[in-house]
Amino acid sequence: MTKVELRGTVEAGARWKPRVVAFTCNWCSYSGADMAGTARIGYAPNVRLVRMLCSGRLDPIFILKAFEEGADGVLVSGCHPGDCHYVQGNLYTRRRLEVFANLMEFVGIDPRRLSFAWVSASEGVKWSRVVDQVVSQVAEAGPVGSWAVLHAPSTLAPQPRQPAQPPRQPPSEEEVRQTTLNLRELARRLLENGEVSRIIGYAHSAGGMSAAPAFIDTPEDAERLAWSANSPGNLTAYLSGPNRARRPGKTAVVVKTCDARSLGGLLRENQLPRDEVVAIGVSCSGQWSGGRLAAKCYACESDISPLADWSVGAGGIADGPHPGTARAVAPDPRDAEIAALASLPAGERLAFWTGEFDRCIRCYACRSACPMCYCETCIADKTQPQWIPAASSGPGNFAWNITRAMHLAGRCADCDECARACPSNIRLDLVNHSISRSIERSFGSRVEADPAAVAPLTTYRPGDPDRFL
Amino acid sequence: MSRIGVFVCHCGENIARTVDVEAVCAAARQLPGVAHAEDYPFMCSSPGQKRMQEAIRDRNLTGVVVAACSPHMHETTFRGAAAEGGLNPFLCEMANIREQCSWVHSDPEEATLKAGEIVSQMVAKVRFDAELDAIKVPVTRRALVIGGGIAGIRASLDIAKAGYQVTLVEREPSLGGNMARLSETFPTLDCSQCILTPLMVEVSHHPNIEMLTYAEIEEVSGYVGNFNVRIRRKPRFVLEDCTGCDDCTQACPVVTPNEFDMGLSWRKAVYIPFPQAVPAIYTLDAAACVNANLEAANGRYRVLACERCALACAPRVIDYDMNPELIEREVGVIVIATGYELWNAAQAPEYGYGRYPDVVNGLEFERLLSASGPTLGELRRPSDRKVPKSVVFIQCVGSRDPEHGVAYCSRTCCMYTAKHALLYKHKVPDGEAYVFYIDIRAAGKGYEEFISRVMAEDKVLYLRGRVGRVVQDGDGLVVYGADTLSSQPVRIRADMVVLATAMVPAAGEELGRTLRASTDEYGFFQEVHPKLRPVETMTAGVLLAGAAQGPKDIPDTVAQASAAASKALEILASPIYSREPTVATVNTAACSGCLDCARVCPYGAIESREIPARAGTPPRVVAHVNEAMCEGCGICTSTCRSRAIDVAGFDDEQLFAQISAVARLREPAKVGAGGGSDQG
Repeated sequence: MTKVELRGTVEAGARWKPRVVAFTCNWCSYSGADMAGTARIGYAPNVRLVRMLCSGRLDPIFILKAFEEGADGVLVSGCHPGDCHYVQGNLYTRRRLEVFANLMEFVGIDPRRLSFAWVSASEGVKWSRVVDQVVSQVAEAGPVGSWAVLHAPSTLAPQPRQPAQPPRQPPSEEEVRQTTLNLRELARRLLENGEVSRIIGYAHSAGGMSAAPAFIDTPEDAERLAWSANSPGNLTAYLSGPNRARRPGKTAVVVKTCDARSLGGLLRENQLPRDEVVAIGVSCSGQWSGGRLAAKCYACESDISPLADWSVGAGGIADGPHPGTARAVAPDPRDAEIAALASLPAGERLAFWTGEFDRCIRCYACRSACPMCYCETCIADKTQPQWIPAASSGPGNFAWNITRAMHLAGRCADCDECARACPSNIRLDLVNHSISRSIERSFGSRVEADPAAVAPLTTYRPGDPDRFL
Repeated sequence: MSRIGVFVCHCGENIARTVDVEAVCAAARQLPGVAHAEDYPFMCSSPGQKRMQEAIRDRNLTGVVVAACSPHMHETTFRGAAAEGGLNPFLCEMANIREQCSWVHSDPEEATLKAGEIVSQMVAKVRFDAELDAIKVPVTRRALVIGGGIAGIRASLDIAKAGYQVTLVEREPSLGGNMARLSETFPTLDCSQCILTPLMVEVSHHPNIEMLTYAEIEEVSGYVGNFNVRIRRKPRFVLEDCTGCDDCTQACPVVTPNEFDMGLSWRKAVYIPFPQAVPAIYTLDAAACVNANLEAANGRYRVLACERCALACAPRVIDYDMNPELIEREVGVIVIATGYELWNAAQAPEYGYGRYPDVVNGLEFERLLSASGPTLGELRRPSDRKVPKSVVFIQCVGSRDPEHGVAYCSRTCCMYTAKHALLYKHKVPDGEAYVFYIDIRAAGKGYEEFISRVMAEDKVLYLRGRVGRVVQDGDGLVVYGADTLSSQPVRIRADMVVLATAMVPAAGEELGRTLRASTDEYGFFQEVHPKLRPVETMTAGVLLAGAAQGPKDIPDTVAQASAAASKALEILASPIYSREPTVATVNTAACSGCLDCARVCPYGAIESREIPARAGTPPRVVAHVNEAMCEGCGICTSTCRSRAIDVAGFDDEQLFAQISAVARLREPAKVGAGGGSDQG
């Protein structure tokens, strides 16, 4: 295990003074700091302000960057809710930072290092109090360089993926065979009458491997289509972005319930017009590999997504979404793993996660597998400025994995394909799932297949949770 | 290659007392890209600015950092000076070493170190500063004024008299608004109509004012200088050649409550709201007319059940086939002057409003007092036309009552209640007047004197306390209240009760959404800043006048209307509107077209746009920023995952450079970089 450091510097303890970077909005908090000056209200000299016009300008990546460069703590300060110079910028930020702070806590960052405050232009006294409080908190937390200590080989045993009792049995061979035949039948029909020009589905793989993607353009070729209980791939990844494999006209895509959520996301985010895609919902009782049910399937309630234009199962082909009867579900095993991690001391959590991210080789397989990673240019590939160090070393890996997680916040369909694609077996599924859960706790919203549903981080409510000082 | 000049100000002793300015200069000279550094006692003074300008010229500087006070203090000064020195003003940055350093730290060593770091932070930023030019948008030199009450009238006249075109839109058939309903106005007791109607006539005759009554705003698009407005004019069914002879009204068989008299009198279906109405054109109220039931789906009368008005009309101006008319106007600025209405006092059932005819609200009482009102100025109560011998006035009905009504003070009620009591005593000298109040708020010019006069000379009895309930007793009312000054319960027999009900906005959220102007929790339009920009909304070019922004009396409304007009003229006076260039721009090559930026933009400044893609593929949809509407907040930038949108002046590179500069440890490099290597 190599050492991962966010900043590999440990200073002599006695001379160390905490360094806090404060991101402030121009109108309230920067003016509040000015006000402290005008009124000669002193405060600790360890804070450096970075002025933006609005706290809504703050991207969590700024905070990662500050830590990476050596800041021991970060303060974000904006106008009080309702006072934002830009109407509601601070309310978006409040949501974004709620999710980010929960994620930071989950990966074991000492919460004393990350503070948020509302300081108005008249609150010079509050500004000085907030700075003093933040600086003393950060002083208690110690120099950021000491994080390196935590990156010594993890004392944690590798997390055994304890399979809980699955709520359902794998489908019978007959069911699988019938579903395959029905899929082929529908595919032939759609291609023959010219309704679609391409079908993206699954094909058999040899040797018990999971199903491979298949791109079917002719009715004859429909014979290649197959369905098995080991078809985990999320084929909506081929609908947009760099993997885009649509043909002119309509493209049909075979979707499981989980995949349909990302299809809904792509539609919501204008990545393709609804009338250019035909969703073939395939009746899925869960994805099985090596005799184990995939974690994401335990709590999945519906065998066919409501977004389906066609429903295909062992029983036949139906127009529109035809969900089966109610079925057995069990608690999501990822929740148990997340709870187990959350119960560890922060330091051990950080050790676990830096250990995980340490293995990242920056192959970006997670990005390729993800339908929601469709950006024309990924922020990881940008160099002016280079927010994410390109090397597969500690700071870059931390920044990449956290930034990707934040970019998926409120958008992730929970399909776990990133974790399956990861050659280093990094538990990306737990990162993403913990964010989904934190959004559910904080804002009461889940990622929906419905393209008209509003994504939680592109909206706000006046009564959102508020952890600002 | 950057050639940056650093200018460190002593600010007399303000900075130099704690910060070693020479040391800061010396440190600045060591920074990469810094070509020049000097200190001076007062950089903002004329010789100080001159030194900077000379250095810009002599040392051929590409950027300037002024280490002095807060950018909120002198950024404009120094940017102006830099521009005079031949440097683009946006290449000048302030390092705030006074408010955020010398004034808050006492230890010279700490303060000097921090000042040096702030300078290095701003040097890092200025290296990425780009030359920016003010954004210029053409201005359509016409104003739209929404609302034809006193606020809209005043604003329209001020703008029109300055020589610019005005389109004034009023939803009622006549100008005048609530002020036309008032009897006399405090504290001077001018007759309201006497001061208002000449202004209404002036509006109707002014060559620069286009008056659209009986019309409402349907849609507004565009931005400052270039709004497109669609106005829906309801059909009057009477042509503009109407002579106002009243023959149609005489002939009309239908009677319906008269809104202008607050329902205290009747009018015909074809009517003029009040004799002095402007325009003096009659209106056929389609909802009241017996032909209304025959109205066809397309809004045209097909079969007429009654034609008496048309038959009585000598000039033949009644046209049953009139249709709603859609009028499009291009305007440069918009003034919202939609005014107020009264809170429905029936929501406070203890006062019996709506249940007892002799419990009336303030505007109803105004009509009963008015010489043009239903009783022609003789005060008689609604139930039996008897002259009330005792009247109880209750203040703060709905106002200052967050439980049942609204939390705010409606500001006018103390004064108009005193006026009501006074006018009542003048009309009924032997009558008794009681006023229940919480406090008396009489903060205007001559207001306190007015209240004192009412109390002393007109013998109105003021009781400090709230009323518990009002009940009907025989042909009178009984008011149960408390006098908190004597701690006694009070029971008063009254012939009439007048409620000073809260002012609530007449138009709120819906118009706000149409105009992209935000409203507060009560629906009043929100100003940008109560002191710095009190008549502007967050949407550039949309201005506020009168009670649409908050409860106001007539003097304040008129003053604010003139203020809004002056702000409108600021924009209309030039064919070009210039604004700060610190706005967002889209890098279309990197944009994936998810439009999350448009979802979070508070100004609706981002829209989708199709651009040609590679040959053979359909056009791509990308985000596009309307520079005239963008305020530069950067919410879009932080929302954009691929950073395809960035905001000038606070862009990613500028912030990245600053974060690196301030977060970096100052210790020798040997401690840092090698940290990971020992592990292999």
